[in-house]
Amino acid sequence: MSRFAEPMARLIEEFKKLPGIGSKSAQRLAFHVLRASDEDAEELAAAIRDVKANLHLCSICNNITDVDPCVYCTNPTRNQRVVCVVEEPTNIGAIEKSKNFGGVYHVLHGSISPLHGVGPEQLRTSNLLKRLDAGEVDEVILATNPTVEGEATAVYLFGMIKRPGVRITRIATGIPAGSDIEYADEVTILKAMEGRREL
Amino acid sequence: MALKQSEAVVLRSYPLREADLLVTFFTRNEGKIRGVAKAALKSRRRFGGALEPLTCVRVYYEDREKQELSRIDSCDVLQSPLTSAVDYPRAVALAHVAEVLDELMPDREVNDPMFRLAVAVLAHLPAGAIWMPVTYFDLWMVRLVGYLPDLGACVICGEPLDGERAFFQAMADGLMCARDKRLASSELSLDSRQLAAEIFRSPIDAFEKCPWPKERAADLRKMLVQIMERHIEKKLVATAMLAKL
Ligand SMILES: [Zn+2]
Ligand SMILES: [Zn+2]
Repeated sequence: MSRFAEPMARLIEEFKKLPGIGSKSAQRLAFHVLRASDEDAEELAAAIRDVKANLHLCSICNNITDVDPCVYCTNPTRNQRVVCVVEEPTNIGAIEKSKNFGGVYHVLHGSISPLHGVGPEQLRTSNLLKRLDAGEVDEVILATNPTVEGEATAVYLFGMIKRPGVRITRIATGIPAGSDIEYADEVTILKAMEGRREL
Repeated sequence: MALKQSEAVVLRSYPLREADLLVTFFTRNEGKIRGVAKAALKSRRRFGGALEPLTCVRVYYEDREKQELSRIDSCDVLQSPLTSAVDYPRAVALAHVAEVLDELMPDREVNDPMFRLAVAVLAHLPAGAIWMPVTYFDLWMVRLVGYLPDLGACVICGEPLDGERAFFQAMADGLMCARDKRLASSELSLDSRQLAAEIFRSPIDAFEKCPWPKERAADLRKMLVQIMERHIEKKLVATAMLAKL
């Protein structure tokens, strides 16, 4: 038996489905909504509906967007021939923060993940292959995570996308900038040594 | 409460709340434990790559009163799967090892032979040569949890199988001779049975140089997976992907 009136219990249940939200937080959020003004509550509901109704994947790069193609794929100041492959749409934000990358993206929406039954055939790659086969790409930068799954994904993609005249690179891993070598773990040091460059 | 420490193998990690990770460890001193690594997703400085599944670590942790989850204080990497090349088949084989350990082991039960098996197999699982370590691991795992039937005699009539054909089937409790085999049985070749005997006599290094294509002992691996899945009463996810390689 729930201690809450049915509509309240239902809202709490919905909040509990969100990542990182337990019973306590769900109750807190639900009471917050209850106390909020009608307009604020309506805004929240509308924003949730809107996100589902108006956002979809860019047909060129799979980024989440409200216009298709997305802002990166239609931006004439970006180099459309250099494609950076990332696991998640949120990775784009991280790379954009550096203000240093002027190319475009391709979002896989995940990585190979054998423990979750996700194999290479589930990766979203068909539109990337189409771009490659149309001769629209000079370089592909594989920016999947430096984990076992991300590495396996990069190696698999490499086999799939190599084409004459297309440069394929993997982002470097190693010592974080501004840190101290003394605190880096062995794997990081090893990767930093492997990825060293000529000065 | 004082910090405990143990050698351990990281089995799985899941994001928890904003930036924490829920991590399952197979520790040498206490068996399988689960703990929370606070802010592990944000502060790579404290944990680095140490919480990547199948990393062998020294873990420092603390049990909290009346709480099932330990608090993970820190981890030193002893051996990482990322120090040698990773490709898709190796990633699947690593996931298989993690999944089988996680599924077959009860919480907080010390098992030193199993711990040594896991560490030895992880040290011998390079890209391009996964079938030997996978077979070695599966066979020893099934034996160490006590599910391995007698490979030398028919479970129905009790006659020895030396040199005879032998069969297995998902619902049978052991190997069967040609007379007693059930419908939909598969054969376990004499080669594979001899290989199994050899695996029990030798450390994993002894097999390092043998050529070992996927077909070698595929029948034995199929039988072992059937036995494991029958006992845990569910399908192993990564293991199914391994079979499809
Ligand atoms: Zn796009
Ligand atoms: Zn018999």
